Amino acid sequence: MIRIEGLHKSFGPLEVLKGIDLHIRSGEVVVIIGPSGSGKSTLLRCINLLEDISSGTVIVDGLNLKDKDTDINFIRTEVGMVFQQFNLFPHMTAMENVTLGPIKVRKMPKKKAKKLGLELLRKVDLEDKAHVYPDQLSGGQKQRVAIARSLALTPKAMLFDEPTSALDPELVGEVLEVMKALVVDGMTMVVVSHEMGFAREVAQRVIFMDEGLIVEENTPENIFSNPQNERTRSFLGKVL
Amino acid sequence: MDSMGGNFQFKYSVMWESIPVLMTGVKLTILITFFGLIFGFLLGSAAGLGKTSRNIFINKLAGVYIESVRGTPLMVQVMFLYFGLPLALGMRVPPLTAGVTAIAVNAGAYIAEIVRGAIQSIDKGQVEAGRSIGLTHFQALIYIIWPQAFKRMIPPLGNQFIISLKDTSLLVVIGVGELTRQGQEIIAVNFRAFEVWLTVAVIYLAMTMVISRMLNTLEKKLEIAA
Repeated sequence: MIRIEGLHKSFGPLEVLKGIDLHIRSGEVVVIIGPSGSGKSTLLRCINLLEDISSGTVIVDGLNLKDKDTDINFIRTEVGMVFQQFNLFPHMTAMENVTLGPIKVRKMPKKKAKKLGLELLRKVDLEDKAHVYPDQLSGGQKQRVAIARSLALTPKAMLFDEPTSALDPELVGEVLEVMKALVVDGMTMVVVSHEMGFAREVAQRVIFMDEGLIVEENTPENIFSNPQNERTRSFLGKVL
Repeated sequence: MDSMGGNFQFKYSVMWESIPVLMTGVKLTILITFFGLIFGFLLGSAAGLGKTSRNIFINKLAGVYIESVRGTPLMVQVMFLYFGLPLALGMRVPPLTAGVTAIAVNAGAYIAEIVRGAIQSIDKGQVEAGRSIGLTHFQALIYIIWPQAFKRMIPPLGNQFIISLKDTSLLVVIGVGELTRQGQEIIAVNFRAFEVWLTVAVIYLAMTMVISRMLNTLEKKLEIAA
């Protein structure tokens, strides 16, 4: 589904990704952990070209992102993205946030898009908030609308960039519940997160990144109970 | 010097009597302001967007326009457009056309900076969220950035609208019969400068107040819709 080889990314003189190789199978759930500044978010953002790639290849669903023929806007509908700061459109209701993509990108008739929107809002348990603007929603509700907004394009994979880091602790659970439901549906997911409990419960693979490189990857059981690398050990010692 | 004071007597009747003539000027003032601002807003939006563009040519072009218009007096621009440019083009420009053009070009430069500032004040995450659901850059601009930026433009736009309305008075130099010009002509006949300029000033104030109120209403309306 997602194939990354020799990925490098620099911001000016600062090299943030120093050669990443990562294959993610269809239906796989991968959680990326690591200290801040390790390049986790940048890696995620390279997968749908919110950051352009300095060198290396990223292949999504058989399409090379560096190919001139690859339609980036199409790739982005295939790979949904959920942001730490939600980034809901504040001038649109929850329903409008969700249906904008289907209407403008998929050219779906408004009526059909509304039906889809309602269905998705029901899925994230916010059917009653359809006509509410984002500033009337709690952080957890905003993030759930954001997830519904991404799902509205029926993506084949979802990228989550620290989806619960900006939330009050008591609101984290409701977002994780929605994400777990996606796992059950068989969604391919790449999650940058500090939620070790979530990683342990649903990830097939946990990747530990540090200083622009993948330091260690393993099943959650192995990585949490028996980390091989010193840096992984010291990081886990601080967060667990 | 005794003609300058002492026996001055304020005459209300002069104010009332001058109103019908001044109103013909008001019509022109409103017309020039209206079209000048419509074209100015279009021009300003284009130049403001140009200033946010990563295309160096477009960016520089917008920059040159903004700098050269902001850096020269409106009255010089008006006279250049009306007296200077026709010599080079070999054709006369009607004063009204020159007037509307001058207001549009001038307001456009200031509006460009308002537009640029408002667009750049919108969080980068908004575009990213738009792009992440497959919108093109243009679609993200139209559906996501512009509506939010426009709301932030309203107070400074109101300012510019008021300035442009008052700036139409400078068109007296090319003989456009707007409000200030009508005032001058009445005074040339009756020499009642105090009453006539007072009346003219009150009419300008009334017009600018209407603009303020309209923009306040618009701002409140947009506030409710999000």
